[in-house]
Parts: sequence; C-alpha cells; structure tokens
Amino acid sequence: MMQSTILKTTALDFLSRQEETCSRTQIRSLLSLIVGPVFGLVYMLYMPIVFLSLLIMLLPGIAIAKSGPVAAKGDSEMCMGCHATEGMTKKLKNNTTLSVYVNATQLSGSVHSFLGCNDCHKDISMANHPADRTFKSAEDFRATTTKLCVTCHPVASFTEKRMHYQIMTQAKAPPCVECHSAHSVQRVAAIKASQSNNDYCLGCHKKNIRISSTQSTVSIDGSQLHSSMHKNHDCASCHTGFSKEAHPLASFANRREHSITLSGTCKHCHADKMAQVEGSIHSSMIKEGNLNAPVCTDCHGFHAVRDKAGFNTMAGAPCKNCHQDVFTAFAESVHGKARLNGNSAAPLCSSCHRAHDIKATALNEGIKFSCLGCHKNAGALHEKWLPNAALHMDSVSCAVCHSSDAGGRVFLRLVDKHTGKPFTEEQVVKLLGEHYRELIGLMNPRSSDITNEGLYKIVKKLNASSEHMKVTLIGSISVSRGIEAHNLTLKQHAVKECEQCHSAKSDFFRHVSLVIMKDNGEAELFNTDQEVLGSMFSVLPASQFYALGSTRLKMLDIIGILMVAGGVSLPITHLLIRKVTAPIRKKRKEEHS
Amino acid sequence: MKKIELHPLPVRIWHWINALSFLVLIVTGIQLRYREMVGIMPFRTAVDIHNFFGFLLTGSYFIWLVYYLATGKIRLYIPDLNLKRLLMSMLNQAKYYGYGIFIGDKNPFHATPDDKFNPMQKSSYLIIMVVLMPLLIITGVLLWNVKGFAKWITMAGGLKIVDTTHVFLAMCFLTFLFVHIYLATLGTTPIEHIKAMFTGYEELDEEHSH
Repeated sequence: MMQSTILKTTALDFLSRQEETCSRTQIRSLLSLIVGPVFGLVYMLYMPIVFLSLLIMLLPGIAIAKSGPVAAKGDSEMCMGCHATEGMTKKLKNNTTLSVYVNATQLSGSVHSFLGCNDCHKDISMANHPADRTFKSAEDFRATTTKLCVTCHPVASFTEKRMHYQIMTQAKAPPCVECHSAHSVQRVAAIKASQSNNDYCLGCHKKNIRISSTQSTVSIDGSQLHSSMHKNHDCASCHTGFSKEAHPLASFANRREHSITLSGTCKHCHADKMAQVEGSIHSSMIKEGNLNAPVCTDCHGFHAVRDKAGFNTMAGAPCKNCHQDVFTAFAESVHGKARLNGNSAAPLCSSCHRAHDIKATALNEGIKFSCLGCHKNAGALHEKWLPNAALHMDSVSCAVCHSSDAGGRVFLRLVDKHTGKPFTEEQVVKLLGEHYRELIGLMNPRSSDITNEGLYKIVKKLNASSEHMKVTLIGSISVSRGIEAHNLTLKQHAVKECEQCHSAKSDFFRHVSLVIMKDNGEAELFNTDQEVLGSMFSVLPASQFYALGSTRLKMLDIIGILMVAGGVSLPITHLLIRKVTAPIRKKRKEEHS
Repeated sequence: MKKIELHPLPVRIWHWINALSFLVLIVTGIQLRYREMVGIMPFRTAVDIHNFFGFLLTGSYFIWLVYYLATGKIRLYIPDLNLKRLLMSMLNQAKYYGYGIFIGDKNPFHATPDDKFNPMQKSSYLIIMVVLMPLLIITGVLLWNVKGFAKWITMAGGLKIVDTTHVFLAMCFLTFLFVHIYLATLGTTPIEHIKAMFTGYEELDEEHSH
C-alpha cells in the first residue's frame, strides 16, 4: 500500500511535473514569437545606423587609404612628443636653422586635425627620421613637403579659381603653406569670415608671390601698408573690382602699365591734385607714350604712401629718383646747402617747379617768378648797380649769372607779335603744315643749322601764311643745360662783369636755337647759326633781341668803317691837294699884289 | 681888319660842351660796341660815362634850342628858301671848296653875326640840329631805359633798329667831325676859326667889314 501510495504520489508528481514542463515550453514558444520579431526589427533598423556611423567615422581614413596606409594616430602622438617642444630646430644644408616646432593647439584646431603627421610627412617615420642637413633649405623642405597637398587637393580642381590656378602652375610656385600655413590650416570660408578685407588680401600678398607672365612681384610689405597715410583705406578703394570674393585676372602688359592705370584711381579722392597733374609735363609725356614719365605712385609710393611733410626734406624729395644729376647739383648749391643746414625756408624742388602742375623748364617764365617769389627785392637790388636791370631780368634767366660755370644759350622764340604769347607748335603746324620740320630743312639747304637767310625765310613764310597772325622772334639767354640752372651760388660769386656777355667773343652767344614751344610747354629746339644774331637778316625777324656789343650788326660795322675812312680821307686828300696847289696860289697872289 | 663878335659866350659854352660830349660819347661808344678790341675802361664805367655825357649833350641841345628859338637866332640855320638861289649858292660854295680854294679864289661867303654859316653849312647844320641830333638823342634815351620805353621801341621797329639807328647816326657824326675840324682850319689862318670859337671874335676882311 505504501508502495502503491509512493508510486501513486510519484506518478502524480510526474504528471504534475509533466504538466508544468508543458506550460513552460508553451510560454517560451510564446516569448520567442514575440521577442524574435522585435529583435529582428531593431536589428534591421539599428545596423544601418551603426554602419553609416562607422562609415562616416572611417571615411577620411578610407580617403587616405587610397594613397597609402592609414596612419597610426599613435605615431603622431609620438611625433608630437618631441615636436611640441617650443624652440625645436633643425640644421639645414645652407647652415640655416629651421623651426620644427609644431603648436599642438593650432594643429588640433586645424582643418587637417584628423590627419596623422606622416599623412603629409610621408617619408618621415621613426625608422626613417631625417637627420640634420637633409634638406637644402627651408624652401626646399617646404616645397618637398607641400607637394603632397595635391594628392587631396589636385591642381585640376582649381581651374575655375584662375588666379589660384595661375599661382599654383608657376614654375616657381610658392608652396601651399606659404599662404595656408602648415599646421594651422583653416577653411577659406572661415578665414574670410574672421578677417578684414585688407588682412584677407595680405594673407597671400604679404607672401613672396609673383605674376606668372611677367614674374613681377605682387608681394606687399604689410608693415608699410599699416604705416601708410592710406592705412585706413580698403585695398579695393584703389584696386577696384577686387574683393574677398572676386580676384579678376590682371590684363596689364607689364607692371608699369599697371601703375599708370592704377594711378588713375587717385582722382577719386584727390581730384584737385589730379587736375593739376593733367596739365603737367609728366602727364603730357605719358600721353605721348613715354611710360617712364612719373605717375602718382612713382612719387608718393603705392602702399607706403607718405605724409606730405615727408616730401619736404632733402631725403624725401622724390624728384631725385629720376633727376639724380640735377638733384646732386642742387644739393651742392646755395639752396641745397642751406636746406641741409636746417634752413627750412630754403627751397626744394617743388618750391620752384611746383609739386603737381610741373611745367617744362625750358624757357619757363614761371621759374623766374619762383626766384622772385622769395627774392622779392631782387629787382631793386639789381637796379642799384645794373643798367637796364629790368631788361636784363626779362631777357636773361637768373641762373645764367647766379649759377657757377653756367654756359649760356640764346633762345629765339617764335612769338605772336600782337599778343606777345609764344607761338605754339600747333599754330606752326596750322601755318606751315605737319611737315614743317622738313620745310625748315628745305629753307636751309646748305646747312644743318638754320642760317641767316633761312631764319628770315621761316618768319616771312609764317607771316605770309596768315593775315591775322604775325610772328616775331623774342630772344632770351638761358643756361644750356638744366643741371646748370640748379647749381646756384652765393651772390658774391655771381657774374657781375658786363664783359662776360657784352663782347662779340662772349660764350653766351655761341649757341643759338630757334624755339618752337610745344603745347605741353616743352621746347623744340632748332640749332641756329651763331651768325644769325649779327646778320642784317635778323634786323626785322628778331628786331627785339639785341645785346650791346655781342650781337652787333656786322654790316653796320663795315658801313661805319667806310664812312669814317671817307671822313678822314676827305680832309687828308683836300689838304694834300692844297699842298700841291700851293705854288699856284702863291703865283696868283704875287700877280695880284 | 675889324674884329666882330661872331660867337656869343652862350654859344661858345654850348659848342665846347657839345664838343667834349661828342668826343667822350664817341670814345665810350666805341668802347661799348667793340669791347673785345678796345680796353680803355671797363664796360660798366663806359656805360656810366656814356649815359652822363649823353644827358649832358641832350641838355645842351635843349638849351641851344630854347636859346636859338627865343633869340630868333634860329634863322641862322634857315637856308635861302628860294630853291634856285639856294642851289646856286651851294654849288658856288662847293665849287670854292672843290676848286677855288686850290687856286687862291676868295671864299664866296663871309661870316657875320647875322649870317654865320655859308649855304652848305646852313643846310648841313639844319639837318644836323633839327633831324639828326633829335634822332640821336631820342634813340639814345630809348636805349638808356629799354624796358621803360619798350612801347616806344616797339613802335620804332624794335631794339635792333633803334640801336642800329643810334650807332649809324654816331658814325655820321664821327665822319662829320673830321670834316668839321678840317673845315675849321680853312680860315685866313689855320687856327683863326678855332680861336674865334674860344674868344668869340673873328677878324673880318676890310672888304667885308662893313
């Protein structure tokens, strides 16, 4: 019974356990039915996200992997272990030292922070670390290293950025790091946003960059720009058309053409000065095609524009850049020495020639007025000792007497008889035609110089060509060369001996020129025979020019000699006849008595 | 022989001032014009002396003009207005100097205080005093201050023409001077006329003394 009870109990336990097992299996199956699909769904959605995330994280690595093995970040850390030390340098072959310090902060803030060191420094590793003097120079090192930039930033991708492309394709193209830096590379958009217009321009232009076609430098010394009178101006104020967004390709034949064109923009602010320049000899020369004539930037500088006061010194006078010989003469003159000795009242170039409306100095009456502007009592002082002082001051340039060793030249200017104004080339062309030079040559067939007769014919022809305009020649004496006009001396050394001029042997009358004033104020000189001054032919055409003793008429001398000879010989002859006829008178007297 | 006062004192003073002025002006003029050949004095000195004597001569001329006009003595210079008579008398005088004088003819003209100059002298001096002297003076004054008289000089044809005229006239006067001095020696004695220009008196021939 007991066994049967035990069996019964066991059977019941078994049955109950069987039932319990059956119910658990059912639950599990039920759970499987629910959890499986849920997990599947989650898996289906989660995996692409995980994959995409991984892809995004690994993409730069994949890109690098195309050209080489992915760098181990650990290596970079090792590099920085040393190169983050400030002041670390390396000796180069040219005996210079190169800083190999890398600012870790800048590097981590760089757009290239994801790269490892030998992504760019490919040939450098711990096993192959360059020793001292591996590279020739810093330039060599930079050029070698930055060649790799094009693996990610190929040259072809810059074809639309023509200026950038032009620089990159130059034979001596500056390395990329020149503008973009090496370890603190920033996105261009970020640079534009963070920098002023001028700083953005200087970002490249303070580097050593050149125009590929002409190899002219377009580098700008930033310090000059910052100390310039124009430091507050925007680059684009002068360089119109340029901005952070636009950099048109220059279309100038050369640097000079660029300077001339750009000087035109000065008028936007300095219209009054530009109006003066327009009438100057320098401007005329430019218009006539002489591109060596100065424009605004030649005197004022282009980026280092100086204060006006800077020009009013011997060192700062820009004229000497072109007129060095004249300036040297000036520096040795009484004016130059006074200026060097600190006399600020002594004149500089612009005091006489003016700064902007500079006229041709040949026979420029304005220069004389400049002298008299300071030497206001010059007229009265000359009147005290010089006969016909006003005439002298009118006809003789100050420098002829006041410049040491000045050589004189007589200038016969064609002048309108009625108005007294110089007869310009334009008027000569109107009367004699475009080929007046050839015509003048034809009028003087036997000489390359204008002869007595030739001069007479020229004036006659001019007067015959017009009923309204009558021409005469006004003579004056000036120095032969401009340099002589600047070597002015103390008045005690000035010419005071009248004989230096008033003698037929005077050097001042050896050189004579016929002058035709050009519209720009320049004088065109035609060499003229010295004999013209003493010729009867000049009595009418040059009736107003006469220097006592020196330009006397030779014909009058001959007439005078004949007259006086007649005056002497008549009494002598009469006396002789009286002597011879004395016996006749004696005989007659005797007969009479 | 009768002595008459042919040259009153004012005339004699005027004459010798003129003579001195002319002499100095000629010398300084030559110095100014021919500086490279003549070195009597510095150019500047020559200018000053020339200017001084130029004005002296000018002043002297005006004194003469006023004196002769005021006293009516100007008629001494007026030749015979009858042209035929004038020409005949001039010819007669020229004939004397060119021929008669050699063969011992008497001078057809005899000076008196009222008729001092022979027909040739009258014509010559009239031209000299009325035309040439004023021209010489005017051109000289213009050249003295060229700038001040610029308009006048331009009107006259220009500086070169004014100077040429001045120098040409000076040459004429120099030429005349030789003839004038020579003629002055053709008196009864060689110094008769010259002496008269100092003393004022000249002896008249009996024949002409009345």
